[in-house]
Amino acid sequence: MTLMQTLTEKAKNLAVRSPWIYRINAGSCNGCDVECATTALIPRYDVERLGCQYCGSPRHADIVLITGPLTARIKEDVLRVFAEIPDPKVTVAVGVCPISGGIFRESYAVNAEVDHYLPVDINVPGCPPRPQAIIEGVAQAIALWRQRI
Amino acid sequence: MLDTTTIPLAVLLFPGGLFALAFGLALKGLDRRVAARLQGRVGPPLAQPFFDLVKLARKRTMVPDIAAEPVFLGAPLIGAVSMLLCAALVPIPGVYAPNPMLGDLLVLLYLLAVPAVVLMIAGSASGSPFGAIGFSREMALMLAYEGPLVLVVAAVALRVGSFSLTDIVAYQQTHGAFLFDPVLWPALAAFLAFYPANLGIVPFDIPEAETEVLEGPLLEYSGPALGLFKVMSALKAVVVLGLGVALFLPLAPDGLAGLAVHLAKLVVLMILGVTLLRVSMGRMRIDQAFAFFLKWPLALSLLSLAIVALA
Repeated sequence: MTLMQTLTEKAKNLAVRSPWIYRINAGSCNGCDVECATTALIPRYDVERLGCQYCGSPRHADIVLITGPLTARIKEDVLRVFAEIPDPKVTVAVGVCPISGGIFRESYAVNAEVDHYLPVDINVPGCPPRPQAIIEGVAQAIALWRQRI
Repeated sequence: MLDTTTIPLAVLLFPGGLFALAFGLALKGLDRRVAARLQGRVGPPLAQPFFDLVKLARKRTMVPDIAAEPVFLGAPLIGAVSMLLCAALVPIPGVYAPNPMLGDLLVLLYLLAVPAVVLMIAGSASGSPFGAIGFSREMALMLAYEGPLVLVVAAVALRVGSFSLTDIVAYQQTHGAFLFDPVLWPALAAFLAFYPANLGIVPFDIPEAETEVLEGPLLEYSGPALGLFKVMSALKAVVVLGLGVALFLPLAPDGLAGLAVHLAKLVVLMILGVTLLRVSMGRMRIDQAFAFFLKWPLALSLLSLAIVALA
């Protein structure tokens, strides 16, 4: 049993070095998405060195980045895509919109706060947040993910 | 030579099985690392594909409602096992000669076609429209590159007079490598066009194009089932590059030095032939790739076969 436990711990330590990231745009103005893309794609903030990989399919994802205030138009689709992501997963809300609706907060067309509908684990506030903040959010998500995997 | 007790060992441990898998994953890691460096990034650690595999083993496999479940889950298993067998069929010059009981070049040819077939089956069984697009593209690409491969192999076999890879390696060790044999240069050129398509790398990663069809057949896969596809592709890199070495440049000393030389050849091939190629080119369209294969590699391999037959 103890050997089993040490092996599981070892496997966990290896597994958390491979967090694959998936982005959901829940009606964002694209500002946060640009910052997310910057975080991933340009040499300065290369997150692949942490083992991160942006994936195109929700089925491959471990860490979900959600941007935008969850507009009425896209709500059902976002919930559906979120359900497609296999457990264990961690949800990171990027930008101020998922927290309060941001500049759209009084609109009839948005459903913010997002955590009424989805289990948000980590908030990265900002309009838009800086890449460093997003990386910190991802790092916290990895720490949380370690407890779940 | 016909000692059958070593076959399970060859398939599961060395040179197939664990050894090939570990080396294949290391090659993939090297590829990602070098690609990152070429783009001015730091890149992931060398063991990254290994971490990915451990992670996938701990995730849940989800099966879509509309998928044909037994086929959906069976396809990656068949693909990984076929590549496991393949890895034991490729000789390591000076170190390992495959047992003739296990099979020869013809068996290898058939097994090499399995991953593409498995991807087609997986894509259509998943029920996803992207999987269906991947399926049709994979089929078109496979039709295009299988022909030249068979002709290249036939040309080499005709030159040696045998379909046994052991004989092909032995022939070159006495008569000189085919890499320096002008008669087989067209075949070599055709092989150099074949293997990027078979390994599914840019410019020929059309069926799994991430930015167009979201990895096509792999879109609906998650967890251990996706991990099996990663195992399949890591083993395939070792098999296809190893086949290239056995067909064209199998010169190596005996023993451990021979193993080191073989591994060094594969590393060089991976960096020059795979990484450099994929970071310096864009993706072709499926019709362009189809036309390309039916024009150049097919003509070159036919030419090579004709020259060998006449010589």
